[in-house]
Amino acid sequence: MSGPVRAPPAPAASAGAGRPSTRVPSATLARVFWRCLFLQAAWNRRGMQNLGFAYAIDPALRRLYPDPARRREALRRHLCTFNCHPYTAAAILGGAIHHEERVAAGEEPSGAPREYKQVLQGPLAAVGDSFFWAGLRPMFGVLAALGALALGWPALVAAVLAYNALHLWLRWTLFRAGYRTGDKVVERVAGLHLPTWAGRLRDAGTILAGVAAGLLAVRAAAGWMALPAAAARSAPAEAVAALVAGFAAIPPGTAGAVTLAAAIVGWGALSRGASLLPSAYAAMALGAAAALALSRILGGP
Amino acid sequence: MRAVDYLLIATVAGLAAVERKGFLQAMLSRPVALAPLIGLVLGDLPGGLLLGPPLELLWLGAVNMGAALPPHEALGAAAIAGGAVLAGRALGTGVTPPVAVLAVALVAALAPLGRSTDRLIEEWNVRLASRAEALVERNAPRAAMRANLYGLALPFAVSFVLAPVGAALAAWLVPTALRHWPAASAPLAVAWAALGGFAAAAGARAFRAQRGLGLFASATALTAVLGGLLVGAWP
Repeated sequence: MSGPVRAPPAPAASAGAGRPSTRVPSATLARVFWRCLFLQAAWNRRGMQNLGFAYAIDPALRRLYPDPARRREALRRHLCTFNCHPYTAAAILGGAIHHEERVAAGEEPSGAPREYKQVLQGPLAAVGDSFFWAGLRPMFGVLAALGALALGWPALVAAVLAYNALHLWLRWTLFRAGYRTGDKVVERVAGLHLPTWAGRLRDAGTILAGVAAGLLAVRAAAGWMALPAAAARSAPAEAVAALVAGFAAIPPGTAGAVTLAAAIVGWGALSRGASLLPSAYAAMALGAAAALALSRILGGP
Repeated sequence: MRAVDYLLIATVAGLAAVERKGFLQAMLSRPVALAPLIGLVLGDLPGGLLLGPPLELLWLGAVNMGAALPPHEALGAAAIAGGAVLAGRALGTGVTPPVAVLAVALVAALAPLGRSTDRLIEEWNVRLASRAEALVERNAPRAAMRANLYGLALPFAVSFVLAPVGAALAAWLVPTALRHWPAASAPLAVAWAALGGFAAAAGARAFRAQRGLGLFASATALTAVLGGLLVGAWP
């Protein structure tokens, strides 16, 4: 295999214009995309995703730089500090290969890929965090939870599969767009209107969480009468009567009403800055205390 | 107690810890998928399905944004689900609401502990990056790049160890408690209901939507009324 042509670096980057003489084969691109799934394997406090990025792009660099010295130089520039959203980073990875092809062909200066990464990592991290981490994934999380509550495991599996079909398609689309268009990937990402979708997903997720609260309340109320029989199986024979009486002393709607109360009070506590886990313990303790108080009032054991 | 059960919990929890950050991130380590998965491998899928939705809602906001670390929801969910399933099996009842709420109360603290171990792992990984840089300079690029994959080992190991420890704690204490105080079952079942409601609120808050309270409260009320009428839940 003949090495890439060495030429003095061009003064300006050719953003997406023309194709360089040195290209990365499709199979290598697929390999880079696979390795991109390991982007955060060695996330570290100093370089963050630097090692993951270098690991992912290495098959492409191997193709572009048969000369060990040039490959080493390329790896060095990809071991610089890098941090982005792990999904949207695929666009930067594709774009970095786009620039490396031009560097290998002598059409761009060797600093172009690094500059490209530094410019894009912040904005794409913000888009990824807002759309994927604060919108799409939690929305599918609630959807999966609702499915499991209402329809059982098939709905849960369907929700997880749907999320992954969508997320992997978007990851691949971003990677391909980055590779094909280089700097113009910004326009492609902007064309997806992800911030607008993020807002809609947030609203939808909030509504679905409300549906989940209502459904949990209905299930708690409707399932109350079946609980003593299950609990009694673990109790010693002499305690069964007391156990059943304990359940009977609490009106069937109580568990459902407590669910609704915990949802509203919980919202209030969290919106005032209460910590998650201590508040969860408080909710459990208050729920149990409410049940005990009610059973005392109604003359239970 | 069967050692193979703990080995299964350890392995699934370890793999989930890897999937959570180091590889893929396809929701498989989220509590909604992980708790049923633990239930499935331990032979109690319905138990896992009871635990998954509230745990998912509770930790819906546990996402890794920038350099900020969330609680380790996968470690917490794996230990809770494993402990609850084993406790339910010991009692002969399966995972009931009293079993589930006690397992959460005993083991949920593993999630913030997991965040601390995550931080230590990120510090440790600096050595991996330095090692990779040194190997590149010594013209050993393949070995340098392999260092990235070594980063998967520690998250796996931490969850492999901590998840079965948490599960064992719940599997030991929950049956003991419920056998000694069977009358506690009724208030504990209500505590589970309270946790569900709180978790839904926490999940809704995680979206930080404008007009969030209005949307959440309306959807909750509408579902409770319509669903309740449909199944005759309310007395």
